[in-house]
This record gives sequence, structure tokens and C-alpha cells, in this order.
Amino acid sequence: MNDPLRSVEPLESPALERSTAGESYWRGVWRRFRRHHLAMLGGVVLLIFVLGAILAPWLTPYEFSRQNRRNMFAPPSFSVPADPTLVGRCVRPQVLFLKCGMHPFGTDDLGRDILARVLQGGRVSLLVGFIAATISTILGTFIGAVAGYLGGILDSVIGRCIEIMLSIPQLPLLLILVGLLANPEVRLAVLLSDALGDAKSIVIIIGVIIVLSWMSTARLVRGQILSLREREFVEAAKGIGASRGRIIFRHLLPNVVSIIIVQATLMLGEAILIESGLSFLGLGIQPPAVSWGNMLSRAQGFLYYPNGVFIALFPGLFIFLTVLCANFLGDGLRDALDPRHYSTL
Amino acid sequence: MIVYLIRRLLQVIPTLLVISLILYGLLALKPGDPIDEMRRGNPGFTQEDYDRLREFYGLDRPWYVQYWRWLGRVLHGDFGISRQFGRPAAAYIFNYRFPNTVLLSGLSLLLAFLVSVPAGTISAIRQHTAFDYSVTVVNFIGVSIPIFWFGIMLIYVFAVRLRGFLPAGGLASPGVVGAWPIFVDRLRHLILPVIALSSLQLAQWTRFMRSSMLEVIKLDYVVTARAKGLSERAVIYRHALRNSVLPLITLIGLNVPLLFSGAILTETVFNWPGMGRAIFDAILVNDFNVAMVSLMFISLLVLAFNLMADLAYALADPRVRYE
Repeated sequence: MNDPLRSVEPLESPALERSTAGESYWRGVWRRFRRHHLAMLGGVVLLIFVLGAILAPWLTPYEFSRQNRRNMFAPPSFSVPADPTLVGRCVRPQVLFLKCGMHPFGTDDLGRDILARVLQGGRVSLLVGFIAATISTILGTFIGAVAGYLGGILDSVIGRCIEIMLSIPQLPLLLILVGLLANPEVRLAVLLSDALGDAKSIVIIIGVIIVLSWMSTARLVRGQILSLREREFVEAAKGIGASRGRIIFRHLLPNVVSIIIVQATLMLGEAILIESGLSFLGLGIQPPAVSWGNMLSRAQGFLYYPNGVFIALFPGLFIFLTVLCANFLGDGLRDALDPRHYSTL
Repeated sequence: MIVYLIRRLLQVIPTLLVISLILYGLLALKPGDPIDEMRRGNPGFTQEDYDRLREFYGLDRPWYVQYWRWLGRVLHGDFGISRQFGRPAAAYIFNYRFPNTVLLSGLSLLLAFLVSVPAGTISAIRQHTAFDYSVTVVNFIGVSIPIFWFGIMLIYVFAVRLRGFLPAGGLASPGVVGAWPIFVDRLRHLILPVIALSSLQLAQWTRFMRSSMLEVIKLDYVVTARAKGLSERAVIYRHALRNSVLPLITLIGLNVPLLFSGAILTETVFNWPGMGRAIFDAILVNDFNVAMVSLMFISLLVLAFNLMADLAYALADPRVRYE
């Protein structure tokens, strides 16, 4: 750092980087991504969490909603108690090394197995995160691309909309929307609960997260499209008579795909945080459905109980790890997909 | 510059109107009304009372008529009565809730700023050292940790495990007398919520400061400063730091209003009677007037801070011109 000349050297040139032995763009991406150890780790851990969520009902001897009032606030342990009333009822006697009676994460205030609940909660939290992040990114990309390419009045209207949406305090707006859609007196809410039943709160929360999070993607994509649309290849496409839709979706969007992928990854973490916060306040996923956020909503009251902290510790830890991994992954993908952007790690 | 300022100020008015229309419309769409709250727990409340009160408050009219009337009153400076507390909504928010929020958010802001600027700077000038890597990892943790869970864990460690080393929540302990003990007591109640609330901004600003510094120290004038033989300390702190803090000021301007409304989770965990919690409770019990005055105030803050961030940037950086 003390050598002043070193600091004026240009960063690694993208052109040089990409031309290595004529490899394709995506092979280069993979090569750069593999170098990013934290991102690799993040990706692998996320994958494990997703698999755990999918396989949740078959991974533990206990069922997530099975109560056992004889064994409340059990500490995390791998030993099987001798007293059969403490063991309680299992769905199956053993899964791998997990025997019926073991509570690796302890039990909660109703004697339910926290591991089983964390796995089941992961299903809901990850489902909400992935779906909300995907749809929000697609919607934001679409709106941003159309606004950026078509310009004119449409662009200014969308621009004002984005600005207004960003000026309204987010969390209160979430509260109002959730309250609105959860209330049996609203026609749309009745329609939703008829169609979805118990899954209603999940669909509502996904919808609300999407409504409130498409703006940043739209802004980002709009900015990129604005600069891209003046380039020669767009002129060329126009020249051979390509339609506006074809230019936007076949010529412009592939050029911003790297930004969109990164944005979607970061949005995943964001969506999971919003879901957990709302569920913590009692407005998100409603019991008997279980998510990491709603597991935490009553947990604070048990902090002073012996072993009560584990009720709060594990679900929060999994939210934290998931979001952390998503952010590592997003950072690694940004460096890998766009070599001009230099690493923060 | 003056023309620009006036134009921006004029733009604030329609934006605020649209925001108020959206918020009022959403609140009015929400089923249940403030009268329901009065009826609850009052056995002598008849249907006639209900209808009379609805008519009295104009709640029997369509929501746009109600909005129009609300707007008319607001323009005369009347934000209505809080139906939870039976006192003027604006006075309640500004006397009882706003000061607590300013205290909590202000201290969080200060802490985040005081830590992120040196941390980001040192991290940048010692790029790829152990310090830099640990700062980066801590940043990732800060942006990924759910604030409310972080708060709960802080309470567990400092209030439960350490047996009341710091209070678990609330504004102050009862029964403390004397100016100095009260001051210490208030401070002790602030420590955990301030740490929890500032974690996200602290991480974001440090990261931002680091990349801003990394860009600045590559610029020609920094090379010139080094070439003319200035000490490294002078180069960084006299020349580079000033320019790298500039973009951070814009970011802070954009983040400040978030601290006011986004503190709902922190306020809930630490039982802190601030604005966020007031809005939350008001929305739950349909106390429209309290909800609207707080929400409009925060929206105004967002717009004001956006404008101030732009202006501060122009004042600090002579190259920026607004037409």
C-alpha cells in the first residue's frame, strides 16, 4: 500500500480475463465462482438447507406438532431418557443415528421437538423466500425493462410510482396489507381462504413481500437498459425489423442477466428476513403452520425459564445462517458474473 | 440552485398527497373501525350509540369523503383525536413517542457513524489484511442477522445469564431518584437496543465506506499528495477521507428515516415506547388518526432527508450542479 504506483495500476481487465484459452462466458463464471470460497460454502449450505426442508417430515423420529407435556423445556441432548413418559410418541423409531427420545435441539414449552419444528419451519420460510424472491425479481425486471426501453410518459409514471413506493414507510404498509388480507370481512381475503385454506397466510405473505420489493430490481434494470438501448446492436436489431418485445427480451435482457441473478440471490435473504420479522410480530405465518419467524414470536417470554433459550436460539440461528449464505452466494456470483466489479472479499 | 430547491420542494407536495391517499385508502379498506374499540368491554353500548357515533365521526360516509374531510382538517393543523387515548393524536405522538424514538434512533445513528467511518477507512487502507477480512465478515453478519433475534440473544446474555447486568427492556427503572442515578439508569436501558438497532446500518455503512475509500485512494490527487512527500497519515486523513465520506453522507440521509419507522422490531423486543410501536398498535386497533399522523410524518422525513442528502452533497462537492 505504501507503493503509490501500485495503486494506479488498472484492475484486472475483463477482456484479458475472459479470453483465457477461448473458454465460454459461463465456464469463466464457474472458474471465478469456485475461487470464492465463502460463496461456495454459502451455496453448499443453502443446498443442504433446501434438501433438509424438502425431506423434513422424514428426517426426524418426531412429528413437528406432537406435544409431550411430560418433557417440556428439555435441553439439547443425544441421550435417550430411561423414563418412557419422557420419550413420548414418535412417528418412527429411528432415522439414521437419531433415535426416538433424542432431542438434539431440545424441546419447547409444549414439549415439541425443536429439531422437527426447525426443519418444518424451514420448509415454509425457504418456500416463502424462494417464491417471493423469484417473482419479485421477474416482476421488477419486466417493469424496469419496459420502462427503460419504451421511455416517455410510461417511464415517468413508473418512475414516480417507484419513488412513492419507496417513500411510504415499509413496515407499516406491510402491517396494513397483511391485516387487510387476513381479515374475514374483506372479499378478496374470503376468496383467498376459500381457495387456499390453511396455506392462506403463506400466500398472503408472499404477495405482500412481492408488492413491496420489486422496486429496487426495477430501478436497477431500468438504469442498465437505459444505457444499453443506445448501443449499436440494438440499432442493428431495429434495422432488421425486430419487434419491441423481441428487442427487450432477446437482445437487451440477456445482457443484464448477471445483475438479475445477483439481485435475486440478495432478494432471497431480504424476503426471508421480512417473513421472519412479520411472523415474529404475529402477522405473518399463522399457527398451526410453523415458520422460523413464528417460532420466535413467543420465544422471548421463555428466556428466564431453565433451557428456555433454545426455543429462541435455533430458529433464529437458521434464519441468520440462511440469509448469511444467500449474501455470501450473491457476493460471489457478482464477482463471478461480472469481472469488472471487484471483490469485497 | 434556488430554482432547483424550489422545484424539489414543490414536488414534495403532490408526492405527500398521493402517499396520504394510498395510506388512508388502505386504512379505510381495513375492516373494523374505531367505534369497535369503544364498544369492546362496554356492555351498555347499544346499536343506536354505534350508529350515532359512526355518523358523528363521519365513518358512515365512503372512504374518499372521509379522506377529503381528514385532508381539510389536516390542512388546518388538526390531526384529530387518538381514540385509544382520548387526546390529540399529534400531541400524543410528538410528546410521548417521538422523543423516545429520537433518542434511540439518534444514538444508533451516532454509534453506526462513529464506528463505520474508521472501520471502513482502516479496512480499505489495509486491504487484504486480517483486519480487513474480519471487518468484511462482521459486515456480512451485520446485514444478515435478524435484528429481533439479535436483540433477544443480547437480552439473554446481558440480562438473563449475567443476572441483570443490563436491563432486559423498557425506558427506565421505577424508583430511581437523583439526577445522576436517573441518567445512568436511562443510559443502561439504551445500551442493548442501540446495539441491536445500529447493527444493520453499521454493517452497511462500513462496507460502503470501505469501497468508497478504495476508489478514492486510486485517484490522481492522492498519488500527487503522496508524490509530494506527505506522510501516509496526512494523505489519508487530510485528503482521501474527506472525499470518501461524501457518498456516505448521501447514504446516511437516505437511511435516517428507515431508523424511525423500521425500529418496530427493536422497539417490540426491548419494550421501548417509540414511534414504530405506536404505529403498529394504532394500525392494529384502527386508531386512524394516530396511524396517519405518524405515517405522514415519517413520509415527510423520508422526502426531507432525500432532499437534504442531495443538497449536502452539492454543498460539499463543488462539481455537483443542480439545475
